Amino acid sequence: MKKTKTKLTGISLLLATTMMIVSACGASGNNAANGGAQPSASPSTESASPSETTPASETPSPEVQDEGTLTVYLNDFDDIIGPMFEAATGYKVELVKGNGAEIMSRIQAEKGNPHWDVVWLDAMPSIYGMGEDNQLLTDWTPDNAANLKDSYQAYVPANKSFYPTGAHAAGVIVYNTNAYTADQAPNSWDDFAKPEFKNAVGMADPAIAAPAFPFVARFFSEKQLDGGQAFFDSLFANGLKVYPKNPNVAAALSSGEIKAAALQESNAYGLVNSGEPIGIIWPEDGAPASVRVAAIQKNTKNPNAAKAFVNFLLDPATQQQLIDQGDESYFEPSVPGVNPKADRAADANLVAADAAWAFEHEAEIKQWFADKAVK
Amino acid sequence: MLRLNQNRLGWFVSLALCILVLFPLAAVIVQVLLPGVFFGDWKLGDLRLLLELFNRPLWLKSLENSVLLASGTTLLAALLGGSLAMARATWRFPTARLLDAAVWGLLITPSFILAQGWVMFAAGGGLAVKLLGWSWVTPAVFQPAGLVVVMTLSKFPLAYLSVYAAMEWKVEQLAEAARLCGASAWRVWRTVQAPLLLPAFLAGAALVFMDTVGDFGLPASIAAVYRFPTLPYSIYSALYTSPIRFDMAGVLSFYLVLLISLAMLLQFYVMRKSRFDFLSARAIPAEPKPAGRLTPLLTIGNLLFLLVVVGIPIGTNVLMSLFRTQSGGFTLDNLTFAHYVSLFADHSQLLAGLGRSLLIASVSALAGLALGVAVSFVLTYSRFRFKRWIEVMSLVTLAVPGVVLGIGYIFVWNQAWLEKIGLLLYGKPAILVLASVAGAVPVITRIMVGAMAKVPNTLLDAAQMQGGSLLNRVRLILAPLIRGALLSAALAAFGSSVFDLAVNAILFPPNFFTLPVSINKAFEDLNFGYASAATMLGGGTVILIILLLEMLLRRKVART
Repeated sequence: MKKTKTKLTGISLLLATTMMIVSACGASGNNAANGGAQPSASPSTESASPSETTPASETPSPEVQDEGTLTVYLNDFDDIIGPMFEAATGYKVELVKGNGAEIMSRIQAEKGNPHWDVVWLDAMPSIYGMGEDNQLLTDWTPDNAANLKDSYQAYVPANKSFYPTGAHAAGVIVYNTNAYTADQAPNSWDDFAKPEFKNAVGMADPAIAAPAFPFVARFFSEKQLDGGQAFFDSLFANGLKVYPKNPNVAAALSSGEIKAAALQESNAYGLVNSGEPIGIIWPEDGAPASVRVAAIQKNTKNPNAAKAFVNFLLDPATQQQLIDQGDESYFEPSVPGVNPKADRAADANLVAADAAWAFEHEAEIKQWFADKAVK
Repeated sequence: MLRLNQNRLGWFVSLALCILVLFPLAAVIVQVLLPGVFFGDWKLGDLRLLLELFNRPLWLKSLENSVLLASGTTLLAALLGGSLAMARATWRFPTARLLDAAVWGLLITPSFILAQGWVMFAAGGGLAVKLLGWSWVTPAVFQPAGLVVVMTLSKFPLAYLSVYAAMEWKVEQLAEAARLCGASAWRVWRTVQAPLLLPAFLAGAALVFMDTVGDFGLPASIAAVYRFPTLPYSIYSALYTSPIRFDMAGVLSFYLVLLISLAMLLQFYVMRKSRFDFLSARAIPAEPKPAGRLTPLLTIGNLLFLLVVVGIPIGTNVLMSLFRTQSGGFTLDNLTFAHYVSLFADHSQLLAGLGRSLLIASVSALAGLALGVAVSFVLTYSRFRFKRWIEVMSLVTLAVPGVVLGIGYIFVWNQAWLEKIGLLLYGKPAILVLASVAGAVPVITRIMVGAMAKVPNTLLDAAQMQGGSLLNRVRLILAPLIRGALLSAALAAFGSSVFDLAVNAILFPPNFFTLPVSINKAFEDLNFGYASAATMLGGGTVILIILLLEMLLRRKVART
């Protein structure tokens, strides 16, 4: 009997040790996600080397102290934004990167006990919805918001719950240059329904791919729901192929399985730059835009760093650096005085669906597409 | 006086499975009933959603497709994997070790990578058409039967391992007795040997069923060319909308769990009819016999088979990792090692991620093995009241998409009150280990149950009569008899958790990138070459580790 007891104690010890090792890994790998016992990471004045990217606009003496390290949820620019922000402001920042759907899933599942301070995504309708759901800090204006171009001022909602940092085309027309010359390729969205492009066109599935929703939303908001459905029905009737995500569209295009597609802007330029035989056409009737916005969590424990982060994103120097060094560098900046990529079309015409309208009809439009998948 | 007996073990196992599997899953399914329960909102949900499955065209079609794909694949993969395992365990032939390596390789490769390989091979502009001129491949693959075949060729390793592990020991006198009575070799196989392997066959089949029914990677990749929505596809589309429909994901997950339970019930019904524990003191470790005249046939057959199951999906990926541009195709000036070089260049973010993934996978394989053995022991030998429940719980994580489980983990492990007792695990690496263990339990349990089914209770009872404690019985009697299966189970768990993407993508803590997250990021940024190179590096490392452990430990088994 005694022996059994010793054995059992042995097992418990083993389990306990495992748990300790595991949590020790935790302590060294990460320590601030839950805003725990981490001492305030206030801006260290001596380390804040005021580089030329520094916004000169921080509030001098914050009334509330930050309790932990700023945590930003984002889907792009995770390679460079951390060091950029830390160098410019002295605040430390931790990043969680995922695709739009993963980040939104995390945010919604965390709703009872959020771990994030700032969300920065190219998903304006969803973030508008979070603002309506009372999850975001409202009625705060960053100093740099005064810089915003007029078209971007228009995106800021009445409750000031988010600020746009730029926009890119959720879809431009791309074509395989081995299949078409620039003259033969489709040059407006309506061309996708023409007989010469039967079974040759592809796009990403808005029910699965995050960037595909702003693309279809634009048509639905412009033509209204019935008109939007009729438009996409005409494309389906012409053999439109819907792929789960943009990478699948790109792969199908490279392999020659489809000859033209609506493809997200950075993906399109990325293919061209990696030497794939791809041509890009910016349709005159406008490319549906996906607007990247930043918002602060309502009950953030790090309001100073969070506000500094959003303000930092609206700085022209920051946006220029994102264009020069970032992974999603093909976008239209939201503040003036920033030069887009040299090879990005000068006449790029972006058109975005209204955020409130898109949010209101998102579920409906996506379900319509999802049910189309059956037919 | 606390004594670890079978009943206590049963309760312990139930508790562990509740924490790892039941609570997180229930947290998602309860969204149907009480959508705001985790945010202090007690409003009732719309229960009619449960019946929507039969109204929405997409959902109904998804259910239909899932059942079709999973049952077809289960049947074929169990037959294929089982026969291969029997051939491998019976005869010795050159290249047999390659088959083992291939099985491990397929098992740990994420299904979206395999699927991508198949698509690149078989699609309209793929290698089959372009390089080989086989235009018949495209229509043959992209139809329901073709999908079942592709799925079979990706999932058969689960059945193979299960049956192979069960053939570790044999009791020759059973077969000899039959032969002495004049039965032909075929008749002996059909009436003695094959029936004794039934539990392992069924265990393998169950694994294939669950893994297929919950697989997202393959249907999604193939959907690129051929629309075939399955339940996981619909679950993803419920999550990829805004506002997020956790309740819809809950409904569909509920039906997935229902499907699994039905499959389990069927298995239980088949197994109930007979006993399969046949090991006695006369059992000897099985050693493959020389194949004699069959040698060339087996060798060539094996090589051809490997060429298809590994050559196509993994070979295509290797090519991708070497192509400068994907459309450039197979020409000399389009070949480059640049993608591999870049793996080591970029601040070695990827290598750090690989290190973390290997560490997490090792810890969870060991912890999972401890739990899995306990679960299998309870299932096989105890008369614990809630055995059937334990069985379902131990399998569920295979079929429920990782993203659903991940969301459940957030609900459970992110409640504010846990912080006071230091258990707010969400946001810490520990949660990845927990989720990984949950993911590893099904494979481990199935392999162990298949192996334990042959070890009769009487062997353990005899030891108990002599006063052997439960732990000693397991350690001194059971463990040596099922050592091969223990090794297979641990290695399978290790390999598959390294690449477990879905759970990782939802749960990884800030700044704590793991290998699958990095690979997926590259894939979504269209860096196909980089993504393939990273997969090859990660997969190669894992296979090396597995083969090394196999060699070190398996040989020891043979010697003892």
